Amino acid sequence: MAAGSEALSYADRKSGSQVISLTGRNAIFRALCLSSAILVLAVLAGILIAMFIGGWPAFREFGLGFFTGSAWDTQNDQYGAWPAIAGTLSTAVIALIIGVPLSLGIAVFLTQLAPGWVRTPVATAVELLAAVPSIIYGMWGLFVFVPLFARFFQVPVSNLTEGLPIVGTILYSRSPTGLGVATAGIILAFMIVPFIASIARDMLAQIPTVLRESAYGIGCTTWEVVRYVLLPQAGVSIIGAIMLGLGRALGETMAVTFVIGNANRLSSSILDPGSTIASRIANEFNEALGLQMSALIATGCILFLVTFVVLVVARLLVARMKAL
Amino acid sequence: MSASPIRTQSIIGHMDADDRARVRLAVKDLNFYYNTFHGLKNVNLNFYDRQVTALIGPSGCGKSTLLRTFNRIYSLYPEQRAEGQILLDGRNILDPSIDLNELRSRIGMVFQKPTPFPMSIYDNVAFGLRLIERLPKADMDERVESALRRSALWDEVKDKLKQSGMGLSGGQQQRLCIARTIAQKPEVILFDEPTSALDPISTGKIEELIEQLRGEFTIAIVTHNMQQAARISQFTTFMYLGEVVEFGPTERIFMTPEKKRTQDYITGRFG
Repeated sequence: MAAGSEALSYADRKSGSQVISLTGRNAIFRALCLSSAILVLAVLAGILIAMFIGGWPAFREFGLGFFTGSAWDTQNDQYGAWPAIAGTLSTAVIALIIGVPLSLGIAVFLTQLAPGWVRTPVATAVELLAAVPSIIYGMWGLFVFVPLFARFFQVPVSNLTEGLPIVGTILYSRSPTGLGVATAGIILAFMIVPFIASIARDMLAQIPTVLRESAYGIGCTTWEVVRYVLLPQAGVSIIGAIMLGLGRALGETMAVTFVIGNANRLSSSILDPGSTIASRIANEFNEALGLQMSALIATGCILFLVTFVVLVVARLLVARMKAL
Repeated sequence: MSASPIRTQSIIGHMDADDRARVRLAVKDLNFYYNTFHGLKNVNLNFYDRQVTALIGPSGCGKSTLLRTFNRIYSLYPEQRAEGQILLDGRNILDPSIDLNELRSRIGMVFQKPTPFPMSIYDNVAFGLRLIERLPKADMDERVESALRRSALWDEVKDKLKQSGMGLSGGQQQRLCIARTIAQKPEVILFDEPTSALDPISTGKIEELIEQLRGEFTIAIVTHNMQQAARISQFTTFMYLGEVVEFGPTERIFMTPEKKRTQDYITGRFG
């Protein structure tokens, strides 16, 4: 009986005029949401097109040589992006080498080892790291970290490696000022830790308790549980988290500009000053004209594409875990 | 399950002929706490060598909790603690000096949901073995094969040992977990509702398997399925509100329960 009367009133409502106005309002709401979404896409496309047009003179002038050339000569208007590309990649790689184990350690500690009362404060502190503005990292890096790094790392390491093959090239600094590619990589590592750590923590926390218990149940130590069961289970999502961090490291400008030394030539040592795409643009944009401006925009274009691809891949990988 | 006259016997009951069975696991005055909640109250219970003991009772009665004390898996959670004694061949496994990794390879556990590890079928079985023994490749292959055969999985997986264990069906995954457990040659195997996530055919296979494993291992199984307990166990423990209400040979528990509560539960009057 009850079901019957309900069906009746539903039919009544359906034939009433109220429904039409509801549909109308729905359509407006739908249109608003849709236009917000389209706006973002339009802006993205606009940036991409504008950057390509701006960089086109440089691409046309130097062709593929723009990617591989290492000259950056404003007198003769000769530009090559390779030192900046190499600097961007090497700082990012150093950041990952340091940041990834650190982040995974934090994530494992927070999900597997920490007693309840430690969890929240540490997790909050890690997330707060993400809230520190990059200019602060830059200042702290330049005024506090750089002198310490020069004194306790660059000088002793350079003394040790001087004259040795390979390491004597990669880890030798002629003028140990503390500024350099390695310094930038280390600062970047701290900046990407919160991103990687918090996503990795979420991924580990999503793994069913029973899987963890069954790994302990056959006599695994915590290390074995984490290494052979939990991390492989979280698998591609952890890689996604790492790539999110990589995206951040590639594009980071302010902190890197402070500590990298801003040298235009390419050095084979990571303890020597260098530059990244972002730091070079930040340094030169104000005074750049003509082909130099175009070359800067073209390097920006390269950075944009690389970062974009990295982020898309990262999102896809993270989404895969959430879908499981 | 007809209601039979209640006989006057102690809770533990007289084992009669079964007295001869050797006690493998003896629980003495066991109390268990989740923070301040008293989850198990003065549990005294024996598990006999190469017998299947079923733990039955309504949800929240403590049967899983009891099972989880035997391999001390509860100790992953600092708010949980057990007091009393659980003697495995005379040694108290609640003793803090016990090596947990060794204990857990001697007391295997199969969980409610199949939990294959994210690795190949072969490695799922070999992984547990590698934790406790260093074996040459040929011996390892042999042990893996034997474990898979004994868990009635070999014929289904022998051509795809390198494939991921996650790709198997639910019932196959559960048998893989059993293979992984028996490969370690434990003395006791704990089953925590091993078939509750499986279809009837897979359930039948697991029950058959438990029947076969009884010849080699001491088995404790938590189940919500009364017929299952009746079919596969030799002893049954009925628990209620953290206490052991009645323990005895399965046939007697089901045919002539001593306690009214046991009788009510197995005849479906509550629970």
